[in-house]
Amino acid sequence: MTEHDILRIKSLEISLMTGHNILNGIDLTIRAGRIHGVIGESGAGKSMIGSAIADTLPQGLEISRGAIEFDGLTLTDMNARTRRDLLGRDIGFIPQEPMSALNPSLTIGHQVCHHLARIGLRTAKTRQERAVELFTEVGLDRPWDLLQSYPHQLSGGMLQRVLIAMAFASNPRLVIADEPTTALDVTIQKKVVELIARTRAAHNTAVLFITHDLQLAADVCDDVSVLYAGRIVETGAAERIIHAPMHPYSRCLNLATPNLSGPKAQLMILPGTMPGPVDRMQMPGCEFALRCPLAEDQCHSTRPALDGVGTEHKSACHWPERTGLITAVEAPTGTAAGRLGEKLVLRATGLGKAYRQHDWLGRVREVHALRGLDFDVREGEFVGIVGESGSGKSSLTKLIVGLEDVSTGVLELVGLDRATAPRADFFDKVQLVFQDPQSALNPRRKIGRLVTQALEGRGGAYSAATRAELVKTLLAKVMLPPEVADRFPDQLSGGQKQRVNIARALCSNPQLLIADEIVSGLDVSVQAQILELLSALRKEAAFSLLLVSHDLAVVRHVCDRTLVMCKGEIVEQGPVEEVFGNPQHPYTRDLVAAAQGPTVSSI
Amino acid sequence: MFIAILRVIVRRLLAIVPVFAVVTVLVFGALRILPVDPAQMSLPPSATIEQVEAKREAMGLNRPIWTQYSMWAQAAITGDLGESAQYRTSTAAVVLDRLPATIELVICALIFAVCVGMTGGLLIFAVRGTALESVGLVVTSAVMALPDFLLALLFILLLGVLIPIFPVNGRLDPGMQVPSYTGFLLIDAVLTGDFRVIVSAFEHIALPVMALGLAFSPTIVRVLHASLINTYQQSYIQQARLRGLSDREILFGQALKNAIVPVVILVGTQFGGLFGGTLLVEMIFSFPGLGNLMVKAMQTADLSVIMAISLIYCATTLIFNSIADALAYLLNPRLRNG
Ligand SMILES: Nc1ncnc2c1ncn2[C@@H]1O[C@H](COP(=O)(O)OP(=O)(O)O)[C@@H](O)[C@H]1O
Ligand code: SF4
Ligand SMILES: [Mg+2]
Repeated sequence: MTEHDILRIKSLEISLMTGHNILNGIDLTIRAGRIHGVIGESGAGKSMIGSAIADTLPQGLEISRGAIEFDGLTLTDMNARTRRDLLGRDIGFIPQEPMSALNPSLTIGHQVCHHLARIGLRTAKTRQERAVELFTEVGLDRPWDLLQSYPHQLSGGMLQRVLIAMAFASNPRLVIADEPTTALDVTIQKKVVELIARTRAAHNTAVLFITHDLQLAADVCDDVSVLYAGRIVETGAAERIIHAPMHPYSRCLNLATPNLSGPKAQLMILPGTMPGPVDRMQMPGCEFALRCPLAEDQCHSTRPALDGVGTEHKSACHWPERTGLITAVEAPTGTAAGRLGEKLVLRATGLGKAYRQHDWLGRVREVHALRGLDFDVREGEFVGIVGESGSGKSSLTKLIVGLEDVSTGVLELVGLDRATAPRADFFDKVQLVFQDPQSALNPRRKIGRLVTQALEGRGGAYSAATRAELVKTLLAKVMLPPEVADRFPDQLSGGQKQRVNIARALCSNPQLLIADEIVSGLDVSVQAQILELLSALRKEAAFSLLLVSHDLAVVRHVCDRTLVMCKGEIVEQGPVEEVFGNPQHPYTRDLVAAAQGPTVSSI
Repeated sequence: MFIAILRVIVRRLLAIVPVFAVVTVLVFGALRILPVDPAQMSLPPSATIEQVEAKREAMGLNRPIWTQYSMWAQAAITGDLGESAQYRTSTAAVVLDRLPATIELVICALIFAVCVGMTGGLLIFAVRGTALESVGLVVTSAVMALPDFLLALLFILLLGVLIPIFPVNGRLDPGMQVPSYTGFLLIDAVLTGDFRVIVSAFEHIALPVMALGLAFSPTIVRVLHASLINTYQQSYIQQARLRGLSDREILFGQALKNAIVPVVILVGTQFGGLFGGTLLVEMIFSFPGLGNLMVKAMQTADLSVIMAISLIYCATTLIFNSIADALAYLLNPRLRNG
């Protein structure tokens, strides 16, 4: 069996110049034709494994121990030149962001053919023919035209196909895919993952599949290693690790992920954050101990070894068998039906938006971003908007907050007509929570001032004392301790920043809150915190929420009703359970199928 | 595609026509405010008051300024830029006679600056992260601090006087003659096929070109270096590395085409400055171009020549701005076929 091992990483250790370890004793083996997943939160060190194999570690980091063997060769003993020769030939890479992975000023054909030349195709004609063959293999239409196209003319999904075609072009023995679908739409994610799996089978390639998405890992991987704070805490068959984990961290990740079917449970909330390379030095015991629901004294003093708990299944926990004791709290059923108010906070009738676009020759085109939308939002109601990028979700939120003008139809907000009533009337009543918590907060202001920013410019009607009082209430509402008020945004974690953002939007007591993809960039455990916060706020029913998300499970977890948008139109709307449980429109069915992943349908 | 590119360039050039019209108004107005009498300047010092008065009337100097401008503009469109007070011939002929020398100087200086600047930028980038990079950047800053006329004087001292390799004035060795085929001395010299003449012509232009070009090159070094560093942070460079491309292939095959765009824009927008720099450099090297003519015209208050040369300066700046703009546009496929 061993001669089929393509990649063998042995007690790999990567450290900073300061001696702090980023990866610790990583052992990982992939056999030919298998897909091995590496999952974990951001900062766990997943990408470092890929960089170590490619010899592209960032400056200041080095392999301080261990070895990487590739198909019988010890990479860590070879010189840089020979290692580089393996890249693109024997080891292929699929990047995280296809949109920026190709040179914007060279044609697709130029870049692909250049790569083909490097792997030994002699004439221009054979290269072009091979490129077309590869494009056809990955399901790209009109492959000949594609050769002349520039990267910006293709969608992210198409570019990722091009990159997959390039990665597999040389029949490599190993392909490393680092979060290959994170930047893509759900419907495309599924196709790309299937493509990787299919191509791998055709070429008998070993694949190292790095992802933070449990569901995705469950769908494609044969084996999975869970990485936490630079250590593998559990490894084994994907099926088992996702559905019957033997390590508390794997279990917690699982319980923190909202699902699209089955009973609704409260999401698991992990306290604190993952320790960084410096903090880990002070931890003689299990690195997960501070956040583990099962931690005991022994966990803080002695580190558990990665020991076998079943056939080819290992877990680094003192009590792997107790993992099942961690359970989710059932969500309170029957979400207080009476709490919805009678009044409509938002009503759209025949709402449409057309943009005028100029191309580079000055010709004008009309683009209909939204067409004939009819929907309403009641007081206290949480409504989701789902659909892939370009379906008009963001255009709609721009109309509602008043960043764009309505082209056709009527948009009534809090009883006023958006088109005719003065803008100032809406300011306090409609608030937007920004997608990127980092850039939305002025780094030079303290949290206390940021949260009550909405009060500024309204004269001295608010004394310092009332303002401080308000800060405290708002922070309590988003479950942040009051001392946060005196900190700066940089001193908070991503999840805390996003809570500050929400608190800030709540400051003026809005009737309608609009949240555009507010959890999309966050880790599962942080996302769980925000989603649980929204669920808690929903019980108070002080405001209505429009939640834009590409993730159906997120919408199901938080919202009462949902709209499904496709190409600028609402193709379906209704209560979440009905829409996602029994989708009527073909597009909704596609979305739901994509979100559930291939394995669910095969069980 | 070709037609479309042509359309872009023509469109940009047409856009500068109104700007240029405004510039002519400004320059014309400024020169009329000067306390000199063009009529008197264009007559011999012995002319009587009556003769001057008659000339004023003939030149339209007693009419309102906008009438004067419109007279000037109508004549200018037909190619008549008035008469030079100094040479007493057509201004257009005087200016056109000197223009080729300056064009030669400026083009050679530009080529020199781009070669030095690109090489410097690439070299400093190649040693990035080492102490040599800092050394390179300090040297660049030092050269940047030296203006063109100072460099000219230094070169005269160094390469003309101390180690006399290059002649320091004129365009040819004394006694040499080149028949004028094209008006461009360097080209004409090459056309003679006489090796001595060719060498002499190039030797004479060497110092002015180096002074002007070297003054311009540090900016190119800086912009190229910064632009390369920025380009190398893009993920397609990392991706190219993961496909096994060598450092050289990445630099010349992938990065340079993107990194060059800011340099193109810089050269285009700063070309006017280079052209203006010829004024002092020509004076220092007694180089018979527009700059020297301009200085003489100023000394003798030869208004029509000043006007013509000023407009050439302005037009060059505007045209090169537009060309750079169009080039940057064409180098970026995202703009080109969006
Ligand atoms: N250039 C660098 N210098 C120092 N530390 C770094 C550098 N890049 C990443 N790290 C550290 O390496 C760790 C792992 O990063 P990474 O592999 O990118 O995680 P992941 O891919 O799991 O999100 C993080 O703790 C991060 O702080
Ligand atoms: S060793 Fe202790 S702290 Fe670590 S995962 Fe197991 S139970 Fe939790
Ligand atoms: Mg990563």
